[in-house]
Order: sequence, then C-alpha cells, then structure tokens
Amino acid sequence: MQSRKSKFIMLLVLFVFIFFFSNDFGLINVEKTSIITAVAIDYENDEYVVTAQIAVPEATDTNTENQKAQLSGKGATVGEALKDLGDVSGWFPKLSFCNLIILGNSLTDDNVIKAVDYFTKTLRVQDSALIALSEKNAKDLLTLATPLDNISSFALQKIILKNTGFDKDVAQSDVKTFCSDYYSISESSYMPLIKVIPAGESQKSQSSGGGTQNSGGMNPGTSASEQKGDKDNLFDAKTTALFLKGKKVGELDNNLTLIFNMLTSPIKGTVLTVKDMPDKNGEKSNYLLMVMRSIRSVKVKADENDLKVKIKINLYCKITDHTSKNSDYSLSQNIPIPKIVLEKLEKDLTSNIEELIETSKQSGCDFLQLKQKLYRNNYKHYARYKDNYLSVIKPEIKVTVSGQT
Amino acid sequence: MQKELKTRQVCLFLIAFTPIAKLFIMPSVLAGKANEDLWICTLINVVLDFFTIASIIYACKNTDKNLTQLLESSFGKLGAKFIVGIFFIYFILKAILPISEQADYVKLTLYTLKPTVLYFLPFFIVAFYVCTKNLRVLGRSADILWLFTIIGFLILFALSIANIDFGAILPLGANGVKKIIDGSYTTLLWFGDGAYLLFLMGEFKFRKNDGKKIILSFLISSLIVLLFMIIFYGTFTYISHRQRFAFTEISKYTSVINNLGRFDYIGILLILFSNVFALSVPLFFASKSLDYILGFSKKWISPLIVIGIQLFILIFLNEYYASVENFLMSKINWFFLIVGNILPALCVLLTKKESKKQYAIEKI
Amino acid sequence: MPNKKIHDINTKRMKIEKTLDKNVNFLKSTLNSEDVTFLDLKIGNKNAVIVFINDLVDKNSVGELILRPASQTKGELDKTQIFELFLSPEKTKVTEMKDLINDLLLGNTILITDQIDCAFSFGLKFFEKRAITEPPTSTVIKGPREGFVESLPVNISLMRRRLKSPDLRFENVTVGKYSRTPVTLCYIDGIADKELVNQLKAKLSKIDIDAVLDSSYISKFIGEHKISLFKQIGNTEKPDILAGKILEGRVAIFVDGSPIALTVPYLLIEDFQSASDYYNSSYSATFARQIRLFSIFLALFLPALFVSAELFHLQLIPLSFLLTIVNSIKGIPLSPSYEMFFTLMIFEILNEASVRMPKYVGMVVSIVGGLVLGETAVTAGIISAPTLMIIALSGICLYTVPELEQTFSILRILFLIIAGSFGLYGLIISVALLLTYLITFENYKTPILAPFSPLIKEDLKDTFYKGFLLEQENRPLSLKNVNKRRIKKKIDGDK
Repeated sequence: MQSRKSKFIMLLVLFVFIFFFSNDFGLINVEKTSIITAVAIDYENDEYVVTAQIAVPEATDTNTENQKAQLSGKGATVGEALKDLGDVSGWFPKLSFCNLIILGNSLTDDNVIKAVDYFTKTLRVQDSALIALSEKNAKDLLTLATPLDNISSFALQKIILKNTGFDKDVAQSDVKTFCSDYYSISESSYMPLIKVIPAGESQKSQSSGGGTQNSGGMNPGTSASEQKGDKDNLFDAKTTALFLKGKKVGELDNNLTLIFNMLTSPIKGTVLTVKDMPDKNGEKSNYLLMVMRSIRSVKVKADENDLKVKIKINLYCKITDHTSKNSDYSLSQNIPIPKIVLEKLEKDLTSNIEELIETSKQSGCDFLQLKQKLYRNNYKHYARYKDNYLSVIKPEIKVTVSGQT
Repeated sequence: MQKELKTRQVCLFLIAFTPIAKLFIMPSVLAGKANEDLWICTLINVVLDFFTIASIIYACKNTDKNLTQLLESSFGKLGAKFIVGIFFIYFILKAILPISEQADYVKLTLYTLKPTVLYFLPFFIVAFYVCTKNLRVLGRSADILWLFTIIGFLILFALSIANIDFGAILPLGANGVKKIIDGSYTTLLWFGDGAYLLFLMGEFKFRKNDGKKIILSFLISSLIVLLFMIIFYGTFTYISHRQRFAFTEISKYTSVINNLGRFDYIGILLILFSNVFALSVPLFFASKSLDYILGFSKKWISPLIVIGIQLFILIFLNEYYASVENFLMSKINWFFLIVGNILPALCVLLTKKESKKQYAIEKI
Repeated sequence: MPNKKIHDINTKRMKIEKTLDKNVNFLKSTLNSEDVTFLDLKIGNKNAVIVFINDLVDKNSVGELILRPASQTKGELDKTQIFELFLSPEKTKVTEMKDLINDLLLGNTILITDQIDCAFSFGLKFFEKRAITEPPTSTVIKGPREGFVESLPVNISLMRRRLKSPDLRFENVTVGKYSRTPVTLCYIDGIADKELVNQLKAKLSKIDIDAVLDSSYISKFIGEHKISLFKQIGNTEKPDILAGKILEGRVAIFVDGSPIALTVPYLLIEDFQSASDYYNSSYSATFARQIRLFSIFLALFLPALFVSAELFHLQLIPLSFLLTIVNSIKGIPLSPSYEMFFTLMIFEILNEASVRMPKYVGMVVSIVGGLVLGETAVTAGIISAPTLMIIALSGICLYTVPELEQTFSILRILFLIIAGSFGLYGLIISVALLLTYLITFENYKTPILAPFSPLIKEDLKDTFYKGFLLEQENRPLSLKNVNKRRIKKKIDGDK
C-alpha cells in the first residue's frame, strides 16, 4: 500500500515537472505586455480613437528615467479601439495600471457615457482611474512635453490628484464616481477640464524647469532654446466640466470649483485671498488666509410648501501672508485677523455659493446631488418635487469664518 | 463515545465558511432587485436562517443523536435514506453557483492576461481530498481559517470605509415590499446554512450555553454579510448591480493603493483561501450523504461522484450558464427554502418525540 | 543471514556449561576475531579464562580488579566466593551464552571459570569519546552550551544532572541484528503518558534491522506515516531542551552512537521554538518567533509569489516596481519561472556543496558561488537581479528555522513550479491541499498542527506569542500528559 502511495506521489511530482517544463499556458510575457498608464479617447469620423500612453522602461546605469510611447487604435466602440491598439502594436494592452482617462472635446457632442461605460463594465481596467476632459483633442494632451514629468500622464495626475497641503481647487472625479453619478437619479456628473497653458505663459511661472538640456553655451537662443520651449507646457485643471445625462452642459470656473469642493469635502490647507482691505493706516492691502479647519453641511429640507437647501460652512483660518508696508510681526506668530477681513470673506463666499447654485439651476446639472438628498432624506416629498426641484429650491446659506481676532 | 467535533469548531465553522460565498455575486444580484434595500433582503434571509438554526439548537438539547440516527429511529433506514437523498440534491444544487462564481472570478480578475477555466480546476483536487476525510477536517480547518476570514474582511472593510456613502442605503424600504421579498426569494440559495448545522448535529457534545455560543457565531457571520452589503452599496451606489465580484472591488478606491499597489489583495487572498474550504463544504456534505445512501466500501467513491457532477456542470453547462443561473435563482427557490430552512427546522419535532420516549424509558 | 551460531544462541537459549574448554571453544569459534582476547588464569585451584575485546576495556582495571585478586587466591573457591572476590563496582552473573556475548560486545570483561555453570561480567569499559561541546545546530548566545555526544552513558548522565528526580526513568532496548545498539527510552513517570511509553517500547522491540547507525534510523520506524514529507519525531542535541520537552510530557529516545535524542510526540510549532526563547524576555522571544514565522513565509512563498505576479498578475505589483522589474529582465533568455527555478537549483547546489566540502575550501565556494557566479550571471544577462535577490533572501530566511530546512526547501520548489504553471490561485490551492493534509496529520494521537488546529487556547501562549513564564501554568494540553500543572503561580507570601 505504502509503495503504491509513494509511486503515486512520484508520478504526481513527475507530472507536475513535465507540466512545468512543457507548457507555457499561452502566457504573455511581461515584455510583450504594454503597461498603459493613461488613455485618451477622441471621436473622429464616426469612430472612437483610443490613444494609450505606454510606459517603456528604458533605464540604464546613467539614466534612471523611463520613457513613454503613444499608440492609437480605432474602433466602433472603445473596446474595439483598444483591441485594435494591441493588433497594430503586437503588445498585449495591460490596463490595470491605467490611472487616467482623458476624454477629447469631440466626445461631448454626444453622451460621453458611451465611451466611459466600458471602463466600469470590464474588469481589466481599474474604475478608480481618474477621469478628465480635454479642452481640445485628448490625444494631444498625452503627446505634449512638460517639465513636470517625462511621462505626461504622470504630470497630469499630479495636477488632478492634489494631496493634502495643496489647494483643493480641482474637482477630481474617477470613472466609478462619474458613472455612478450618471446613473444616479439626478443623472448629473462632472469632471475636471484640462487646459494647456502654452509655452509663453508658462515660462514666467517656471524658474528652472527644463534646464537640463545640452546648452553647450555656444549658440544661445537657437535650437536649444526651442527644445526648451517645447517642454514648457503646463496644465490647468481648475475648471470643472458639468454633465447632464452624459452631455456637457456647462462649466465651473476656478472660484466656483473651489466652492464646490468646499461643499463636498474637507478643504484643510487651502488658501483664500481677500483683496483690497484697509489696514490701520487706511491703506489697502491683500490678505492670504489658510483654512485650518472646515465644517460644512448641505441639507435639503422639504415640506408641502417649500423646498430648501440649507448650506452651512464654518471655516477657521489663519493668515499666511498679507501685503503691508510696515509689519511688526512674523508669520510664524498667530496673527490676529481683522474682523473686517473675516466679514469680507464670509460675504464673498456667500455670493459664490449663490452663484454656484444658480449655475446648477441654469445648466440643469445637479452636481450637488440635491435630488439624491431629497430622495434619501425627504422621501415623503420626493414625488412632489422630483421634476422641478432645481427651479423651486431656495438656498439658505450661512457662512461663518473665524480666526484669531 | 468521542465526538468528531467540539462546539468551538462548530461556532468557528459558521464564522469562517458561511459568509464568504454570499459576497461574490449575491450583492450585485440583490442590488439589481432592491437597490438600496439590498441589506433588508439579506436581513430577511438572515432571520429565516436564525429560526432554522435556533430550532436545530433546540433539537440538540433534546438528543445526542446525529441526523442519520435520528432519521432512522423515526422513519426507518429507508426513510432516512430518502430524506438524506433530498439533502444530497440540495447540497449539489447549492454548490453550483458559488463554484462557478469563484471560477469566473479566478479567470476574469486574477488571470486578466489569458483567462481560462483551467486555472480553477485544481480546486477540485482539494475538494476531493477534503471530501475523503471525516468530519474532523471541517472542524480543524475552521479552527485556523476563521482568523483568515476575519482578518481578510477587516482589511477590506478598513480600506473601504473612508469612501463609503452611508447615506446611500436611505430611504429605508423605498423600493417596496414586493421588490424586497423578490430579492430575498431570489437569493435563497446562498443562505440555508441551517442545513449544514443539521448535519453537524450530534457530532459535538452539546453542553449548557453552547446554544448561545452557536447563535452568537451565526450573528457574527450574519453581521459580516450585512455590513458588507451596506459597505458595498455605499461604495458603488447606482452602479452596484454591475459589480459582479463585489468583495474584491470595494477596497481599491483608497488613496493608499495608489502609492503602495494593490495591497488590499492580502485581504482578498486570505478570503479566497478560506473560500477554497467554504466551497468544499456543500460538496463534503453531499458526498457524506451519498455515502450514507449507497454505502460505498471505499471512502473515495462518493467524493469522486460528487466532484464529477460539479465538474460536469462547470465545464459542460458553462455555455448555458445564464440558464443555469436563472434556474437556480428563480425556478427552484422553493426547494432551497424547504430543504435549507423548513426541513432542518422540522427536525425539532423528531427530537421532541425522541425526548418523550427517553423520558418514558427513564420513568420505567 | 547473520552468524548462524549467534542466531542459534538467541533462539535456543543456550546455557553456559560447567566445562571451561567447551565454553571457551564455543566462544572462540563464535567470535572468531583477532580483537577478542582470551587470557588464561587460575582462581584458587580452578582454571579460568578472561575474555574481553581489546579496545573496549580499561586494561589497567582488568589487571587491578581481576588479575591481581585472582593471583592471590588459594584452594577451592565456590561460585559465591569467586563473585565476591572481585571489587569491580559493576559486576553481574551471567548464565546464558546469549547474555555473555551481549555483554562482551558491549565492552564488558567476562570471566569464565572451570566447574562453574555461570560466567561473571565486569563493566570495565573504556573507549575514546568526544568531549561535550556546544552542538553546531543549536547555538545560543545566552544559555547552557552543553550538547549530547555519541556516548549513551554520557548522554544519560547529562540528563540525570538536569533532572535529579526519582521519577526520571530510563528503559533500555537493544536494536539492530549486527549493531546491537542500545536504545534508551527516557521519560518522567507521572508526567508522560504510560500508554505512549508502552507503545514506543513495543515499536522499538519490533524493529528488525541490520544496524542502527544513528537515531534517525529509529525515527523512520516509529513515525506513523512512513512516506510523509514532514517530520514526525522531534529531535534535539541539547540536554536543556530535552529536559524541557520531557517535562512537558514527551518521551525521549537515546541511541548509542548518536548525539541526537528523539522526542515523541512532535508538534510542528516545536521547531519555531528556540532554546534561547526561554532564557530571554518574553518580548524578545515573541519578536524572534514572529520574525521566524515571517521568514519562513518569505522562504516558502517569495519565489513563487514573484513568479506568479510576474507571469499572471502584474496588477499586484506597484507600477514603479514593475517598471524596474521589466527593466531588469530585458534580454534575459529564460522565462521568469524557468529563470527562478534554475537559480534556485544553483542555490541548492551551492548549499549542498558548502555542507559537504572541507571547511578550508568553504570560503572559496562562498566567494565563487555567491559573488562571482551571481554577479557575473547578472552582468552577463543570464539571470536578472531581482531573481537573484529573491533567491538569496529566500535561502537565508529558510535558515531561521533550520530544523525544517529540508522539508521546506522541497516545498519551496514545489510551490515555485505550481506558481509558474498555475499562478496565484494554483498556489492557494496547493497551500490549501497542504493544510488539509496537515490538519488531519496525527502521530501518536497528537495532531501535528496543535495548538492551532485543533485550537487549544491555553497552549497558544508558547507559540508565535511567547507568554511570560508565570502565564504558562500548565503543561501543554496538546500533548497527552498525565500531570497537567507545572507552575504554582504564587509563591507563599506573594500578594
């Protein structure tokens, strides 16, 4: 019995070995896999054009940076375009590392969900990938050179995905959030709109970027400087594109995007500017306040007669800079904020919120998900207001800004 | 006589194995039926199971016999075999969908480059091996795997909790009673854990307070499922019904993942590991039932038959997967309700008779 | 077929005869070997012969304790007078030829006298033995350094010195047709399970083998699963560890000629427990055990996980790390799984060579193998740097639990092959298979995975968590021992 058992085990081991050495299971070697870091989708000639940015590891002993490659595929659906991309390159497109999906402006003429939905349906892609709209062609955004990173999609991610300590001035969205907002009862969704800041404009905001080119020191102002100029593209994602039923219906500018973020998430570390405030000498000066703490609530209250949205914001700020001719304290001290500055900020914020709600009403895009709040918290009155809630809703806004006075 | 299991192992069995199979496609099925009320559907099924399990515990108090002994004393050998035969069919049917869910999950999410069912087939080797062992294997594996299951879920819950919109489950019951009941009825096949406990009856020494311990374990396992439903819907809200492999998806939205890679897979793999045994449980009971009915001399024959049936269903009925799924979820729910809940609960009547008989004997 | 005469002696219970010549002639024909010395002498009026094996006895003692008193005798002496004449502290009367030969082969000196139907056996053994040193397999920084040696009496004395209890029992069995090796069972009466002792004795006495050259021979016979990859019998080279194990209720087996004592029953967790854990604080012991657990996890699974991630599950690797990997494997001629497999094989070859080869060339091997081979293989683009690093790390990690090195290195190769063929799920399945095997694996009714499976809460205090000494009030419940309590928590007067 034992010898039979040991023979069986030996046979099993032999089988596993033979299996191991004789079968590659049609494996796709990592070298034949294209690691897609970002995807740009455009719509041209009734076809989806998917451009994938692929990280190509090229590090050597002297150069530790990786390179990129752009490949495009076309198809009647996004899935087909991706398949086409693999067919033309011989690389197996690996989308698990794709953290950014950029939609071209051409897609906004139709329902963008037709392109985006693919990414929530397939398990090959992370639906946690960031999503953004390009002001122009999405493909161009990936091919642009930028001093921020060798790989432009990484640079774009830096701009969109701002960590704590940066201003919350980008209304970031990912595939899952966008789609779930789209399929929500308000059918309203949003994503950041990326604009390219051209070379000339960006140069002034850039001190040393791109300075690693071979200058040679011989012919200043010739080809070397042109190359440098090519790399001087920066990105701006502070504008937010608004969508209703998948179609672009409006935009939020920098200010409104910041207010929108203020209402939807904590904004610790964000700075706010209060301009033209008179100081003790009667001269005008500007204040830069940093939000140290923010408490916010957006509640929808409904009864038979009224539908209200009650918005409360409570900010605690600290001065981080202010223009003054003669200052007798350092910024490390907790400088008292003049009451008049706090009042001005409260007023500005209140009018911005009003403007935000007005934008929502005009565009029809319920980006604050008021309908959802009505459904969840005032289900009794949902049927009454569900069709006209945006037009009848009345805002009640209370902004409180405090600080050491 | 030495019992095969300890009460502790029965409790850990409920925690380690019963929640996992419910967390693959069941949440998306429920979200499709009842949207934000999916957790109410789950709660209804949990309550049903609670009554079944409570009845079995009551039965355990009355008798020391195991299921087959109890059935034989009440219905004779033939009757017992008939009833065990019904349970055999039940376990076979109950195993089909969870196994194909797992197979789908393995091929579609773990092997994205070249998905094939081949990668899942080694599961049947473990299932076969487990089925050839005695009941002790379940108890002892539960002794270890409860920790894997709990840690796995803790990791997933901890990573997902920051991105949950708890308000998503409001308003309560807005989808209406019909949809909620429909959701519960459709997902009955994933419940009916009382049937497992019925087969464990008499295999452990039932002492005072053991009933409370078993109920507590059942509640912990149910709490995991309920909490998962809420987290799941809070994460995906309106696209929940499209998330077929729910438990592997909820944790990937945390910002830490971006920096460290998919380390949530630690939790996922721990649960997958427990699930290998959890999926073997219905097959184990099916093979023991078959063994009892047909009385094979070799202990490997009935496992071979049971595994063969499952393999056949997985491979050859794969093309008709949608029909199989439809059949199990909407055509024979009554069978799952009767065999998974009502029959086990009825066994308490047999033990009542039993205890009266015992009392009479003692009196004499 | 062993010596026919020996066989006859054993089976026919041959008695020692009264005629000296008959006995001597029989012995000469049976033990026809030049190292057996026959020395004629007279005891009173009687002729006698001393028989001993040249290199096994202390000749001075033979002269002093046997020859000198014999030369001073006169007249007729009977059996009892002769026996009392000699002052050797270890002396017995032997009546059967079988026992006489046994004693002779063990190194005793035999006196056969004419007209007396018995012989006298004197324990005047003397042979060279190794000094007591610290065993190389279990060195400690703090703690006792004594190790067992090949001599059974020395080993027994080492145990006696540690456990001066009248309950410490030694029971002897002789095993081996040709080697006739003394095997001694050691346990504490009142702690060890008597049924286990009897079971072991019965098993030992049934062993039919030519020779027992080391204790490992015995472990193959007493293990209940003959073809198992896993250890079933514990072993140690240190008396302090053995004393601890015996006090937990285990039974030890000493084999003459082996410095390794066996212990039964065996739990897998034993090999994660080091002697120094008990001499250090429980914090550092717990930390060390966690490190060992983590190391074993890395040793077993790291190559397999890396290969499966590289082949099947790229999404598990962080992007920046993936780019580094892709960089390093560019141009490598082998697929990741073959590359890992062959690198592992090279590591095993180097490992085997370094154990076998003389110490003075060991340094050369480590330089050539580790540095030159590794470095040049990476530079030449035959293997990639991550693979080399993983194998090196996995190799080192395995030695944190040296007792399991052999088993785990085989498992590591198996897991690697499975991961290379089936990926992560294949790996999960193989571990599940292994777990199913282990949870049902019992030896002498003791589950090898106890106290994890079956879960024994009380015993978890000495597993990957090392509890404080006073917490470990009872002997392990995982073992079948009789007397459970081992520590009285409160000393009189304590609050």
